[in-house]
Amino acid sequence: MAYLLAEFKDDQALLAAARRLRELGHHRLDAHSPYPVHGIDEALGLRKSRIPLIALVGGVAGAVGGYVMQWWMNGVDFVINVGNRLPHSPPTNIPITFETGVLLASLSIVLGLFALCGFPRTYHPVFEVEAFRTASVDALWLSAEVSGAEEEPVTRELHQLGALQVSLAEEAR
Amino acid sequence: MSGVIRRVAVEAKDLELLEGTPVLAGRPGDRQLTEDLFQPVWARTRRGWLALFGICAALTGVLFTAIGYTFAVGVGAWGNNIPVAWAFGIINFVWWIGIGHAGTLISAILLLFQQRWRTSINRFAEAMTLFAVMQAGLFPILHLGRPWFAWWLFPYPSTLGIWPQFKSALMWDVFAVSTYFTVSFLFWYVGLLPDLAALRDASKSRAARIAYGIFSLGWRGSAAHWRHWRIAYLLLAGLATPLVLSVHTIVSFDFAISQVPGWHTTIFPPYFVAGAIFSGFAMVLSLMIPARKAFHFEHVITQHHIDNMTKVLLATGLMVSYGYLCEHFMAWYSGNPYEYFVFFNTRLRGPYAPVYWLMLFCNVVVPHVFWWKKARSNMAVVWVAALLVNVGMWTERFNIIVTSLHRDFLPSSWANYKPTIVDWSIYVGTLGFFGFLFLLFLRFVPSVAASEVKELRRELEHEAHAREHAPAQGR
Amino acid sequence: MPPLGSKLPIYGQDNAAGRPGADGQRRWRSLEELESRRLPAPEFPEGAAEPPEGVSRRSFLQVLGASMALASLEACRPPRHKILPYVRPPEKPLLPGTAVHYATALSLGGHATGLLVTSFDGRPTKVEGNPDHPSSQGGVGSFELASLLDLYDPRRAKGFKKAHDPISHRSLMRELAALAASHQPDGGARLRFLTGATGSPILQDLRRRIQARYPKARFHAYESLAQDQAYQGARLAFGRPMEARHHLSGARVILALDSDFLQHGPEALRLAREFAAHREPGLELNRLYVAEAQLSITGASADHRFRVKPSEVLGFARAVAARLASQHGLAQLAPLGGQTRLARQAQVVADDLARTRGRSLVLAGPRQPAAVHALAHALNAALGNAGQTVDYAPPLRDVAAGPESLRELAADLAAGKVDTLVVTAHDPVYSAPADVDLGAALGKAPTTVYLAYRDDETAPYASWVLAASHPFETWGDARAHDGTVSIVQPLIQPLFESISELELLAGFVDLGDAGAHRLLHEYWRGRSAGGDFEREWEGWLGKGVLPGTATPAEKVSLDVAGIAAAVKAAPPPSQGIEVSFVPDYKALDGRFAENAWLQELPEPITKITWDNAAYLSAATAKELGVENGSRVELRLGGRAVEGATWIVPGHADGVVTLPLGYGRRRAGPVGTGVGFDAGRLRTSQAPWFAAGLAVAPLGRRKHDFALTQEHFSMEGRDIVLAFDVKAWKPEKIEHVKGPVATIQTPVDYQHEQYKWGMAIDLAKCIGCGACTTACQAENNIPVVGKEQVLRSREMHWLRVDRYFEGSPEDPQVLAQPMMCQHCETAPCEYVCPVNATVHSDEGLNEMIYNRCVGTRYCSNNCPYKVRRFNYLDYRGHLSPTEKMAMNPDVTVRTRGVMEKCTYCVQRIERGRIQSRLEGRVMKDGEFTSACAQACPANAIVFGNLNDPRSLVSKAHQDERRYDVLHELGTRPRTAYLVRIRNPNPELT
Repeated sequence: MAYLLAEFKDDQALLAAARRLRELGHHRLDAHSPYPVHGIDEALGLRKSRIPLIALVGGVAGAVGGYVMQWWMNGVDFVINVGNRLPHSPPTNIPITFETGVLLASLSIVLGLFALCGFPRTYHPVFEVEAFRTASVDALWLSAEVSGAEEEPVTRELHQLGALQVSLAEEAR
Repeated sequence: MSGVIRRVAVEAKDLELLEGTPVLAGRPGDRQLTEDLFQPVWARTRRGWLALFGICAALTGVLFTAIGYTFAVGVGAWGNNIPVAWAFGIINFVWWIGIGHAGTLISAILLLFQQRWRTSINRFAEAMTLFAVMQAGLFPILHLGRPWFAWWLFPYPSTLGIWPQFKSALMWDVFAVSTYFTVSFLFWYVGLLPDLAALRDASKSRAARIAYGIFSLGWRGSAAHWRHWRIAYLLLAGLATPLVLSVHTIVSFDFAISQVPGWHTTIFPPYFVAGAIFSGFAMVLSLMIPARKAFHFEHVITQHHIDNMTKVLLATGLMVSYGYLCEHFMAWYSGNPYEYFVFFNTRLRGPYAPVYWLMLFCNVVVPHVFWWKKARSNMAVVWVAALLVNVGMWTERFNIIVTSLHRDFLPSSWANYKPTIVDWSIYVGTLGFFGFLFLLFLRFVPSVAASEVKELRRELEHEAHAREHAPAQGR
Repeated sequence: MPPLGSKLPIYGQDNAAGRPGADGQRRWRSLEELESRRLPAPEFPEGAAEPPEGVSRRSFLQVLGASMALASLEACRPPRHKILPYVRPPEKPLLPGTAVHYATALSLGGHATGLLVTSFDGRPTKVEGNPDHPSSQGGVGSFELASLLDLYDPRRAKGFKKAHDPISHRSLMRELAALAASHQPDGGARLRFLTGATGSPILQDLRRRIQARYPKARFHAYESLAQDQAYQGARLAFGRPMEARHHLSGARVILALDSDFLQHGPEALRLAREFAAHREPGLELNRLYVAEAQLSITGASADHRFRVKPSEVLGFARAVAARLASQHGLAQLAPLGGQTRLARQAQVVADDLARTRGRSLVLAGPRQPAAVHALAHALNAALGNAGQTVDYAPPLRDVAAGPESLRELAADLAAGKVDTLVVTAHDPVYSAPADVDLGAALGKAPTTVYLAYRDDETAPYASWVLAASHPFETWGDARAHDGTVSIVQPLIQPLFESISELELLAGFVDLGDAGAHRLLHEYWRGRSAGGDFEREWEGWLGKGVLPGTATPAEKVSLDVAGIAAAVKAAPPPSQGIEVSFVPDYKALDGRFAENAWLQELPEPITKITWDNAAYLSAATAKELGVENGSRVELRLGGRAVEGATWIVPGHADGVVTLPLGYGRRRAGPVGTGVGFDAGRLRTSQAPWFAAGLAVAPLGRRKHDFALTQEHFSMEGRDIVLAFDVKAWKPEKIEHVKGPVATIQTPVDYQHEQYKWGMAIDLAKCIGCGACTTACQAENNIPVVGKEQVLRSREMHWLRVDRYFEGSPEDPQVLAQPMMCQHCETAPCEYVCPVNATVHSDEGLNEMIYNRCVGTRYCSNNCPYKVRRFNYLDYRGHLSPTEKMAMNPDVTVRTRGVMEKCTYCVQRIERGRIQSRLEGRVMKDGEFTSACAQACPANAIVFGNLNDPRSLVSKAHQDERRYDVLHELGTRPRTAYLVRIRNPNPELT
């Protein structure tokens, strides 16, 4: 499997190219930019991120777990008279419940991000293209995943869409 | 670098009509920006940096020597006694935690409120948070009588079959501080990913490329990455904001839930949070003003930023003043003789009265200088004021902790507290350790979020574009 | 984890099984298994949660035993001869790990105090008072308590030296016999003995036998705190030396003329008890007037205190006599009358005394000259107190033990009239008056045999230095103040090679190798009425006293003319600054200077530790231009010492009070160089007070006094409540008792069977600090030293707070023992993150040392600040000998843990074990806390609040009961009873 990488001069051109290719039926597209480009998700037809859901689940689990931990440890498993207070006194459990909630939410967000983006993955074929290094600095790139046959027509298409340069990235052998 | 300055001069005019005082001076291209902002990372190590680093490293040495001594002979190496069982250790803990808070607030809250001027200072502030919390984290362990058992504060199945006691505010602290550190770190690191990738791609040396390549985890700035990253970053900011408030609230509970006169006060949570933001912004300023000068970041960290931060200082300073006022009022109004004695006798005339008056000067008087634009735009004034506020907030904690403890209920047990050389070395040592970490950060990590500045630049351009076309449509 | 309350099976809960003992055993075992599954041995909490058959205690003892064996030559070998425990010997006197009490006695200045000494496995670990002994009645003072530490002092003198060469016990005895023989020819003309005052029958008998063998030998007795002025006073009044024996039980009005009778002197413990017994309202209250210079413990307990120079006391007494003669028809006192500047007070006192004839008492302090004693006797006779509140008996101990006889001895020595001097007095070179250079004189005698407990100031001057045995190591006998004899039985074989005074003197009648036990046994066999002596002997040992040996009171006839002559001859009150020497509350006359417990015991009035100071009044200080801690040169009659001043509220003007016993030069690592030696100003003419003191400030630098309490005002808070009996109404303390409104619904943890509590009667407390020392001994509390006290890190679990009320010139003094209050809603507990301090199901606030990580949050949140923290390793450097002093029932705390009063939980558990073995419930008074047990004034009671008949329950019901810091809602288990004063309306 190989990637065609095409640099565009600005985001308008990038978005236009993305739309055009999808009309032509190319769906394995991706864009690379040093900053989030507005409208790219629509142009590439990307769905909303599932991270908020993951965060919610993590947060709730953390909060519930935190409270249950305190209730069980002080109120059930080892009951002991501490200053004549209630073994299980809800108000005193609030702070830790909140903290564990936040902690697990944040952890699940980051782990979710890693999972969804496939991090850590320090090698990727696109890195083979020297010029692609500008993708994180100041250039906008469109990458199309192509099989041997598609390679030639797509390249032509990209040039027509005003790509400044087009190059092929392949798994290093 | 000088090029940048010139550009600022040239384009100052048209920027004025763009966005008032600039949040981003000039229109450097992305490449230009990248080079400017990564310059400190690429440039050869400077002599000034080395000198500072040497000093900080030395102080760090002092810190760990003092810690070693404390562990060897016991916490009796400090000046603590009965009744003043808490002193420097807890003062420094609260002080450092407070400082940390501004960082999270700047990057999180301002992000939520879409404050543009945040962009160029948030990385800086987050790093400060991280390192401040690291200092703070030392003290709860150091001040223990038997620090080698510090892990007993975590809920693990112990051979005694007993669990921690969750009614204790110290347990809340354990969870709050560890959560706070973790979340701050994640927030900072996630924000850092795109720039690490940029560093990987823009660095000349192979070693740097490999190193940054590893730390950027394979970030390719792809649309898919950005899609998840933006929401993740936003959510982390959303979580960090209440977290900050909760952390210092909980720290204030250490005192508020006890019954020591001068601690037993319901105003503490809000007043501690305000104090935290107060000291935090002061610390950001006192660090950023020199750094901005040294690295010539005037075009990204502009007068606009300084101005806003000083306003925040003024506002939080007023909140803190209100806190003092409220405390004293309640002490009088409640008719509680012990409270009254602490607030109107001990603090005003007691052996530690000078500290009290210094606190009032630094925290209540000094901030008012920021009513004047002249003062706000004079870096020297701002810097000195910021330093004074830091001092003031330290003395505030001293007042709350030591002054309250040394005159409590039974006069028979009253006694004074005198810090030892070890106390001082540990305090100064943490300052050094903090600087040590911060200098490393400045040297190896872009201290301004390049990707966000680029995005900001794009937005500004669009706005400028929109304005140019608006009148045409109007006709 | 079993539910609350079933952690310890409580006896009598379900006795249905019928065989409670076995039942209890069974449950214990099952519990033991359960416990051992949960807690491995090393983390086993001490005491409370421990089964009686606990493995851990056994092994602890073995370890301890090992360290003792290391300690020194067969450290805890029980004495060779049969000694008998108090009352009834158990089947096995040395049951491992069980405490046995032995009755014995300790003599100070020839007066014995009966003691019960707790012994673990042949190791004495705690001193208590013997209830059957007339001078103790169960109470005990700091000196007796702390004497235990001297026993285990690793720096005691060891072995015997002749001219610096160590010699064995056998050859010592041979040499002694030779020495003795060498004096036979000339009838001992060149043989002298310098002993302390002794009341010991056997010692006195030995002296007689020595005199018989050496008719020309002479015995000199010397005590630096001699009573000889009292004896001279009696000689003046009655024509012969007599000993006054006071009885406060019947006394309603008491006038103390510079007499600190509650703390000093042979009767102190008994008088304190009798005095305190009549301080509660309801009973007929007594009223105490004190005329004195320095604020003493007695003065602090007085209803009226008159600040007079020591030289003014006589005048005051004469004014009282004059008033009695003129207004109350006691004509015989007329020739004794005189003037005083406190005329009105004297009149009021006189009227009050007259009102209570036969039920009043006048006491004169031993510091006062003979005339004052004589006058006191006259007053008591005239008031009809003689035979009621005071009676007289001929003294049974050395009458002339003052500087006089020492001077004669020194003269003889200087004149070279002495070949051999045997010194058994306590460190005479240090305590000798400044005008008697005993050191130089000793050098003149070819042979000086010194029986030394430590290598002290006297030792370098002696050619023979023989290590003295501790009273707990040797056989002997002693007489109480009233003549009652006690057998002194050893608790332990001498830790180091040493001999007793008895064995040494026996060497001079060729009985050196007989051994103390045989001598004593034979002596008393000779005196027994016949019958089965062995049973009689065992009875004496068991009880600690020989019944019926008290000397009967004798009739006396008063020689008023003689008294009048003496009174008139007495010098007038001095002008200018007067110096006054007092025995110290901690070092006494210096013999306790090396005792760390006493050095760190806060001085009862000033709370100064590790120091003595030149006490003076604020006015005098102003006049002299000195402040607290000013370093000054004190000059009297050409002699000078350097000291530091301390201002004491209520101190008389124009007087500087100097406590004796400090500034030791060769005391040892503890006492050497602590404070200054006031004795350097003390002459044989003026042993107690003298005019013409010059005080010169020295430079700016201040002396650091280590105080345990720096603030003496109550800031108007309800801490110590005190009322005049007339003004006292229960309604006045309604606001400091009863429930406190709270939003938190308190949990109802039920306390089955036992609910421990304490009550402290502030009306009885005299603030002497015996409870502090008792607590220190019982609970293995470390001594931290002056530096740490300066950092306010002293470790005393029980402190006696001292507050002053009213004017600084003439303050009311309030003492308050303060220790853990065992609050039911304890503020310390809920802030501990690791459950290291929690509540037991009997209501104890427990501190679990091995769980503590040392956050010190509990201390911050303790409103009473009674928690103590091991900031440093205060126990790391104990010598094996010192370790032997440890109470094996109490954990020795490590660095970094919090500690505090436990209500003596180890005693509770001992009681529980005993009661379980006997299948019954613990009875009230069966045991009590160490502080309550020691208290001479019976001010502290401890017990079970669930038992409505227990003393502590009654005290908690008392209308005078209140809680300290009640408004905080901590619900303390320790209640206080308000202090009641009984002032004379005519003076208020």
